[in-house]
Amino acid sequence: MTGTAEAVFLPLVFLTVALLGGVRVTDRVALLPPPLFTLVLGLLFLGVLVKSGALAPHRLVNASRSALANVNGAVVIVATFFASVQAFNLATPEAGLPRLLCDVFLVVLLLNTLAASPDRVRVLRSLMVIFGSAFVLKFIVLAALADPEGGLLKRSLLALLEGLTLGTLTQVTFHPATGYIAFFTLVLFMIGLTLLPSNVPQWPQVTIDGSARIASSDDRLTSRE
Amino acid sequence: MRETNVRAIGLTLTIVYAIAIVWLYVRQPQTVAELTGSLTSTVGAYHVDRQAFDDGLRFFREDKFEPARAAFHRADPAEQDARTQFYIAYSYYRQGWGRIYDDDALFKPGLERVIKAIALAPQGRLVVDDPNLQMHSADELKAELEAGLRTDASDLNPLGVFRRRK
Repeated sequence: MTGTAEAVFLPLVFLTVALLGGVRVTDRVALLPPPLFTLVLGLLFLGVLVKSGALAPHRLVNASRSALANVNGAVVIVATFFASVQAFNLATPEAGLPRLLCDVFLVVLLLNTLAASPDRVRVLRSLMVIFGSAFVLKFIVLAALADPEGGLLKRSLLALLEGLTLGTLTQVTFHPATGYIAFFTLVLFMIGLTLLPSNVPQWPQVTIDGSARIASSDDRLTSRE
Repeated sequence: MRETNVRAIGLTLTIVYAIAIVWLYVRQPQTVAELTGSLTSTVGAYHVDRQAFDDGLRFFREDKFEPARAAFHRADPAEQDARTQFYIAYSYYRQGWGRIYDDDALFKPGLERVIKAIALAPQGRLVVDDPNLQMHSADELKAELEAGLRTDASDLNPLGVFRRRK
């Protein structure tokens, strides 16, 4: 990881996610601060990143680095936390039963991921599925149900949900721009996550003279960079 | 460029960006005018359009409340001036006031405006020294608007028809 990526690119990406994660466009533009519960989700999420090795805090903050580099590293960790909080704020439904169910589902999913301890690649794939599904649920399915005009999707969903009171499902109707901003924000968030300094396990490496040694994670990252 | 410089510049940029984000979430600007107005008022450089304000005041005194509000909006597009917001609230009060009943559709935005005016005033205290007005403080206006929106037994008092618009 270069100093530029750590000091400039990653904080700006995650702060942009933190900014755009609260944007809701209706007849006015509102910036919604994160609900308290998303702070809990964000903390669990940070735990998942660290446990899976998708985020290696010791590569961002350690005694061998300069004070300025450590501050940059700490900023990346804090920015990652706030970006994840706002990503959850963005991806979860705004109110009612869908919000409650989604929150419970996400907590269970994150706890399950923590317990399963998957590796970095699997966690990143899993997160893509989680945020992708949440996006589809909120901005396509629930938005179709909340649409006062209604379309084919709404009629199909109403047929599927026959007998269910829609009052428990209906959400605030957003301007279509909100969905596009949300999509861009979640993609940006995933890009940021893949660029985080990761904890790559050690593996044996044979040098040119034939002697074997253990390659450090820094060796691999340097060659990748 | 040396890495230390890059890191220092990055840290500065990040801090400035984070402060800007927090500021945006606190202020919630809706338009570019509000955004620039909020920024300039933060550094104490915001001024209302004096000509538009005087036009608004003239219309207000002639009981032409809608043109008055249009002029006040022009004078304070960023909605950052407590005095202008007070006059907008007052225009809603006077227009919505009725001898038999008050118009809630006008009192509600009036109450929102006077709350905004109080929030903008230093220490929340706003007194407008205008002999044309019967209520000089934002607190009085707020209480009057709240009373107008409240539904209670006093609404049925027939003597209410003798009350006067302030």
